[in-house]
Formats: sequence, C-alpha cells, structure tokens
Amino acid sequence: MIRIDRAAWEEMVRHAEAAFPKECCGIMIGTEANGSRQVSVAVPCKNAYDGDQKDRFHIDPRDQLAADRKARESGLAVLGFFHSHPNEDSYFSSTDLKFSWPWYSNVVMSVRDGAFSHAKSFIANDDQTAAEPEELHY
Amino acid sequence: MAKVLIPTPLRQYADKKDSVDVTGATVGEVLSSLTTQYPDLKKNLYTDEGKLRSFVNVYVNDEDIRYLSKDATALKDADTVTIVPSIAGGF
Repeated sequence: MIRIDRAAWEEMVRHAEAAFPKECCGIMIGTEANGSRQVSVAVPCKNAYDGDQKDRFHIDPRDQLAADRKARESGLAVLGFFHSHPNEDSYFSSTDLKFSWPWYSNVVMSVRDGAFSHAKSFIANDDQTAAEPEELHY
Repeated sequence: MAKVLIPTPLRQYADKKDSVDVTGATVGEVLSSLTTQYPDLKKNLYTDEGKLRSFVNVYVNDEDIRYLSKDATALKDADTVTIVPSIAGGF
C-alpha cells in the first residue's frame, strides 16, 4: 500500500498536466515499513527520452542521483517513480515493465486533454515478468 | 575504502544496509568485493557472462563510469560509488 501526502500529490498532478501531451516523469521519496509506503516528497524530473515523448519517458540517472542524495540527507528513501499516460488509461504497459525495477512503486497517471483523470500504482515482480497493482491513496 | 550507496530495491540483499564500505582500487574491485560479501546482489548487478547489466548505472561521485574508465575506474579513499537503477517506460 502506498499513500502520497497532499503536497507531493499536488506536485505530481501539476507536473503531469504541464507536460501534456507529453509524458511526464518523476521520483517519489518517503518512508517504508512492513510494506506500507508513505510518500512525502515528489521530485518532478525532465523527461530525458531522446525521441517522441508522447508515449515514452526516461529518467535522467543524474536526477536520480540527486534525489537519492536528497532522500538520504533527510533520512528518507526513494520509494519509486511516477509517470503519465497522455490520453491513455493508467495501466502498466509492457514497456513500463521492461524498463522498470522490482520493488519500486510505479504510479501511472492518466491525463485526458490536459487534465488529470485517474492513477494506479504497480510493483514489478523480482524477475520482471509481471507487475501487481498496489493499493494507492492520494 | 570506498563507500557504496545501495538503492532501496537492493538493500534486502545487503542485510538491509543503505551503504557499505568496501576496499578496492577500482570500481570493478569494489563491486567484486561487494558481491562476494553479499552474493545475492550479483544477479541483480551482473549478467551470467559477468558484465554489468545495461539497466544498472554506476556513478563515482558525480560521474557515470561509462564516461570514465568503466570497471577500471580508479578510486581514491572517500570516493562514493552509487548504484543507480535505469528507469524508463511508455505505452
């Protein structure tokens, strides 16, 4: 289960809507205990995918490096990532699965005509052959 | 002695530590020592052929080792080696 604090969630929605009709992406930071995750900080990132970004994203590793440092300095951890699907549902695609990592929460936000529609979260299994939905609260 | 920063998904394979101090003169030596100490990390970092997996980025301080000398990148005391998962996607 993952809960996203209001300020972090609002940051994520702002980023997803501003990026439309391109995909946005970002990093979620917070705490984790016994499978329960609480996101207190959302870090919007530039989509670093070198191509058409309407249906692809790539997070610059340097942004991850900076977010990881920020998390460690605050006694927090990188819990996962978020990205948007412009004019698409919030599902975890085969491309998402292929380029994800196990353990992390992956929040997928559907943005329709520039406005946030709905979101779901997924966690890939250890061998990245499937992803399970994760209970998401925001 | 270099400090290796472990990303959250891999801490379960490193006694839940978020960093490990490892001796080694190069990145390759440090990662080899790390995976000897924590064998379960090996399959997450290396292919069966012993190459660093393509979706694993390794940084020494602020530099990607692909733009330095890769595994042969020399380390000084107090250098920080960070394992950074590569994350992308789309539909």
